[in-house]
Amino acid sequence: MAIYLDNAATSYPKPEAVYQAVEDYQRNIGVSPGRGAYQRAIQAEQLVFNTRRALGQLFNISDLSRIIFTANVTEALNLALKGLLGPEDHVITTSIEHNAVWRPLMHLKKERNIRVTRLANPEGCQLDVAELEEVLGPGAELVVVNHASNVTGAIMPLQEIGSLCQEYEVPLLFDSAQTAGVLPIDVEKAGISLLGFTGHKGLLGPTGTGGLYLAPEIELKPLKEGGTGSKSYLETQPEDLPDRYESGTPNTMGLAGLKAGVEYILDRGLDEIRARELQLTEMLLEKLNRLEGCEVYGPGSARERVAVVSFNLASIPAAEAAYVLDEVYDIMVRAGLHCAPVIHRELGLENRGSLRVSPGLFTEKEELDQLEKALEEILAR
Amino acid sequence: MLERVDITYISPCLAEPDKIRLKARLGKSIEEVLPYLNAVMEGASFNPAVPCITIRRDFRVLTLYPEELTMIKAENSTDAMQVIEWLKKQIRDIWERKDEITPDYTRSEKPHPLMIYKQLPGTNCGACGETNCMAFAFKLLGGEQEVDNCRPLKEGDYLESREMLNNLFVS
Ligand SMILES: Cc1ncc(COP(=O)(O)O)c(C=O)c1O
Ligand code: SF4
Repeated sequence: MAIYLDNAATSYPKPEAVYQAVEDYQRNIGVSPGRGAYQRAIQAEQLVFNTRRALGQLFNISDLSRIIFTANVTEALNLALKGLLGPEDHVITTSIEHNAVWRPLMHLKKERNIRVTRLANPEGCQLDVAELEEVLGPGAELVVVNHASNVTGAIMPLQEIGSLCQEYEVPLLFDSAQTAGVLPIDVEKAGISLLGFTGHKGLLGPTGTGGLYLAPEIELKPLKEGGTGSKSYLETQPEDLPDRYESGTPNTMGLAGLKAGVEYILDRGLDEIRARELQLTEMLLEKLNRLEGCEVYGPGSARERVAVVSFNLASIPAAEAAYVLDEVYDIMVRAGLHCAPVIHRELGLENRGSLRVSPGLFTEKEELDQLEKALEEILAR
Repeated sequence: MLERVDITYISPCLAEPDKIRLKARLGKSIEEVLPYLNAVMEGASFNPAVPCITIRRDFRVLTLYPEELTMIKAENSTDAMQVIEWLKKQIRDIWERKDEITPDYTRSEKPHPLMIYKQLPGTNCGACGETNCMAFAFKLLGGEQEVDNCRPLKEGDYLESREMLNNLFVS
């Protein structure tokens, strides 16, 4: 049996209800939401709304019209950064950002001459909140923080960062790609101004889903204009949310699945999900630390990470190890820079990359045992 | 209490085309809740003869019947669905506390003439026999006119407004 350990890229398998919801929509509703005056179109629209409602419950968002659906968190982050930042603006960010943040920032550096201050994440771990306060002092237009590294798994202190941003009145854009559906995120309590989320990882939905929450005080330029199915007599983009940012036919099939994924999470509860993840992560760390020649990056304790562990096996190239794992053992893991070149550079791994193992909610302990055995054999070759 | 609300119809508001109006069917009758809503909700306008109650959520206006509701002036469909969620919660909360609430079965005070005026076509055409719409609004309040005497309201596409006025003045 194939063993899938790349849940940080996309979660697999999904809860049964997710497959059913997608099929049910495709077969029994199937029409475009809001684009027709018939019952079915209203049903499709209601389904999309119910997805917002489930997400609102998960993230404690009271105004559901401020949840904008996008194709993934990459689009959400692009919308946030490009819609918010103006010429010469100052942005504070971290060293664990994904290219979904880093590349738009580099683009805006060229295009709008923005200034980017990057905080250090020593050893791929937590940033220093005192350092954040120091750079917030002189002022900034935006703070962008990845909740947890998709390389080292290190979790950032959401509450402390949020409180500081509120104190200095700088909006906080939070990338929850690796944490939504696993760690509690309460936008109001944490003081998050913009929350990017992706549907296909911890939220257990299909690919092609994600979104951005905008706090009431946040005003953005849309990334695209087009048909919204509403106010069609207007030649210009409508101003009301979420329509202002949701041009084009939405991924209703995906959103039907996302709704089922989020409802599954609400039903099981974040505590139980996180406990399961912790168990697997602890077990994985223990196994890797036992292996001679295995170098693990990031926090030593599972409590400081999400279920993402990157490492290298002696001097064996990561890509080669991943190839053997797949070819010989039918175990799927990721090798390379994982779209996060900055943190790899900080770890001195820019030329090497790393092997990444990320168990998911449905990973069995026996599967980690098999991984351990395979890694032992590869090291002994 | 009210778990299911199925929207059956959505279209632009006639008076304000950048807002929407809708109709929805309720999963079960809320007739017995209406007097409790009347007792609790500020600015509610109750007519036991229909029966129906008109309530407001900021700029949106909802009319609840035992097995149906209408809403006008919602921002868009997301907004309207959010208002329906709000309404469900209001009804749930009120029904939970129903033993502490004294239901109010009385017909609400007459509304403000401006409120009436806003529902009229505003063309001052005189077809009702009055010099203008404002005069018609005052006469309606005084019981000296009938809603259906405003011909444009009856013949034009003013369904919601007409319904709302009828709800207020039916006895
Ligand atoms: C931290 C982080 N941000 C952003 C992304 C991009 O996610 P998506 O491809 O769904 O846009 C990922 C995952 O690939 C990630 O781990
Ligand atoms: S008939 Fe209607 S529109 Fe015409 S003046 Fe009377 S109230 Fe106004």
